[in-house]
Amino acid sequence: MKIGAVAAKEFWGIVRQPQLLLLLLVGPVLIMVIFGLSLDVQSILQPRAIVVVEPESEGAELFEQYRYKFTDRTDFVGTTDDLDSAQQQLQRGEVDAVITMPSDPLESVARGEQAVMEVIYSTINPVFGTAVPRRSYGLLLSLNQSIVQEGITRNIGDVRSAQEQIDELNRQFENVDAAAEALASEEAQEETAELDESLAELEESLETLEDAPGETGDEASTTLEQVRETRELLEEVRAAQEAGAEEIKDQTGASELERTLADLQSSLAELPADASPQVLANPFRLEVENLAIPPGIVGFYTPGVLALLIQHIAVSLASLSVIRERLGGAYEFFEVSPLGAGELLAGKFLTYFGLVLGSNLAVAAVLTVFLGIPITGGVLTMALAMALVTGASLGIGFLVSALARSQLQAVQVSMLLLIASVLFAGFLFPLGDMKGPATGISYFLPAAYGIRSLQDIMLRGEGLSYFDLAGLLVIAAGCLALTRYLLGRKKT
Amino acid sequence: MAYTIETRNLAKRFGDEQVLKGLDLTVSRGEIFGLIGPSGAGKSTLLRTLTGYLTPSEGEVEVLEKSPSSFTPKDRRRLGFMPQGFVLYEELSVRQNLNFTAGLYGLNFWKRRRRVRETLEFVELWEHRRKKAADISGGMQRRLQLAAAIVHEPELLFVDEPTANLDPILRRRFWEEFRRLREEGRTLFVTTQYLGEAELCDRVGLLSGGTLVAVGTPEELRRRAFDGELVQLILGGDPGQLGTSLEALEKVGRVAEVRQNEQSEEATSLVRLLVEDAETALPKVLESLNGAEVRSVDVPKPSFDEVFFRLMKETSETV
Repeated sequence: MKIGAVAAKEFWGIVRQPQLLLLLLVGPVLIMVIFGLSLDVQSILQPRAIVVVEPESEGAELFEQYRYKFTDRTDFVGTTDDLDSAQQQLQRGEVDAVITMPSDPLESVARGEQAVMEVIYSTINPVFGTAVPRRSYGLLLSLNQSIVQEGITRNIGDVRSAQEQIDELNRQFENVDAAAEALASEEAQEETAELDESLAELEESLETLEDAPGETGDEASTTLEQVRETRELLEEVRAAQEAGAEEIKDQTGASELERTLADLQSSLAELPADASPQVLANPFRLEVENLAIPPGIVGFYTPGVLALLIQHIAVSLASLSVIRERLGGAYEFFEVSPLGAGELLAGKFLTYFGLVLGSNLAVAAVLTVFLGIPITGGVLTMALAMALVTGASLGIGFLVSALARSQLQAVQVSMLLLIASVLFAGFLFPLGDMKGPATGISYFLPAAYGIRSLQDIMLRGEGLSYFDLAGLLVIAAGCLALTRYLLGRKKT
Repeated sequence: MAYTIETRNLAKRFGDEQVLKGLDLTVSRGEIFGLIGPSGAGKSTLLRTLTGYLTPSEGEVEVLEKSPSSFTPKDRRRLGFMPQGFVLYEELSVRQNLNFTAGLYGLNFWKRRRRVRETLEFVELWEHRRKKAADISGGMQRRLQLAAAIVHEPELLFVDEPTANLDPILRRRFWEEFRRLREEGRTLFVTTQYLGEAELCDRVGLLSGGTLVAVGTPEELRRRAFDGELVQLILGGDPGQLGTSLEALEKVGRVAEVRQNEQSEEATSLVRLLVEDAETALPKVLESLNGAEVRSVDVPKPSFDEVFFRLMKETSETV
């Protein structure tokens, strides 16, 4: 009974706070819906790639022939002939990989060397950063397989076809040889001579009849003409018979053709014996280079954890500070005093800023000393980035505090911000692999700027980008100004 | 004459709810003005409007000759405010809390140091200065809150329900401290739901349902509630003579109540006579009762509960 009374009291206490219920139920659901809509798994698996090809080169032709392999295996951005501009795109994060096609791949293969396909990328992410080399090797294997397969298919067809034709010709040549031999034999020569004599006798007889009147004379004349033509042809045959079989083949061009075919056969037989099996099986090889130096898993996640810690501590502290005084009555006391809303905010900001920044710098120092986490971009730059994240997070926290109706609401908002930051700020999944609403949300999360900045500074040795600097300053200034306005409003 | 506080036709609404209804009120410099009324009468709303925490819906308000909504920080340094509950920081020590509030009012280090000590001694908390606010009693916390309101020596002090939930001894001490502040020339605007505390104020305003039922000194309100002052007589002797005595008394004042006590061995009658001024009327009363047996004469002061009740009744009848 007593437990029931307490349970009922707690239940109604929560149910009678619709805004809290909204945050408890709708908040997490909304975050997961946005996460589902925004996470581009395909993008994680398929890096954005730009291909560098020399125009009108063998490599360009080959790329066009196998373009589908590049578009299938990468998020294909396009082609360029300028390697430098492609690398700049890579550095700006507009692409994940630059693939350079060799300009003369077939010449290399002809020389017995593999053609080199170069891939460069830049990532410090040990989890999702393997996508580029993995996909590159997949692309290479597929490319080699296709080239070899097509080469074999074409060559086998050609050889088979040529072989069949040669065989046929050889058969025909055998017949020609036989015919030439037969035509040049003594027996054939005697028969030709006898035929010539018979035709000569017939010619004499027809000459006699030619002068006969009427139809007989005309017919004899016509026949006589035919006999004479036949004897002329027979004369050519007899001349060839007298020259022999070789002369017959030379005159017909068969000998020259026979020699050419013999050469061709010999060439076909010799070709595979000279090419390296390695080159024939894998005409392309891959050279992959990561421009960044990836740290270990702990090293990679350290900047992210630091950024999330700063944001969460700052938002929690700030979001509870004003609401606690408003609910406790101290705020009314301040309102009557000469203390302005801006002064109240500034005083709180200074303390929390020092506290949050100091504690997190200490955490960073411990991680550096004991875990060997690098700060390659310099301690001061890192401290500046952390200070900006702290300022922006405090701004959000104060704004939450000015809007919340209860401390529970403020705590709930802080938790939702933390969850949203883990999912949308580039901590678990790279920001570049997010799309849609998550991208928009990330612009309002100090942790998103913080994770990127601290990774750049600590792991890549880069400075603080103007984008991150401006983003954090805008969040801090905007939230503090809005909070100042809300706190300074007269109660009506 | 410039008043420390002056309101003209002041009204305050929250949505459709009218909390203050056309209040006309003045508070002079150097007086303790008590705003008395039941819970929900609008006392805190009026006080918050006077401090500038709330803006009026209608009418005009002037505090220290300025509208509270246009107060500058310099103007606010002339005000002190003691809220209903303890709103300071339990995790801080007594002295840290007072240092903080002194800082809010812009006291520099040396002045702050001096004033913190003086104020803590004034509210008798100096010995407890190192204790955390969470570790002192509720009464001490209220005194610390008072110290926070006066540490910067304000001209005008707003005090919201200072004695709520305090025992009678502590309540008396608070009022002693208020009087000491008044003696220093400060003006105090005090809200309370204890009607008896009206007696301790220089002037009192009775607030009910957002309307100022009556304003005046405690005596003025009493007179107004009873149409004068009460003279209470106990008459003995022959009960048959009572009629004659009452006729005589009617010539001096108005007989408000007659009660005969017949249970005792000797019959007595209690007569309550309303007169304009008890001091001047008393000789005339005794003179008119010449021959009657006057056992006792008293000029009782009716409790403020009764005064408040009568004034409320009068107002509702008028309405």
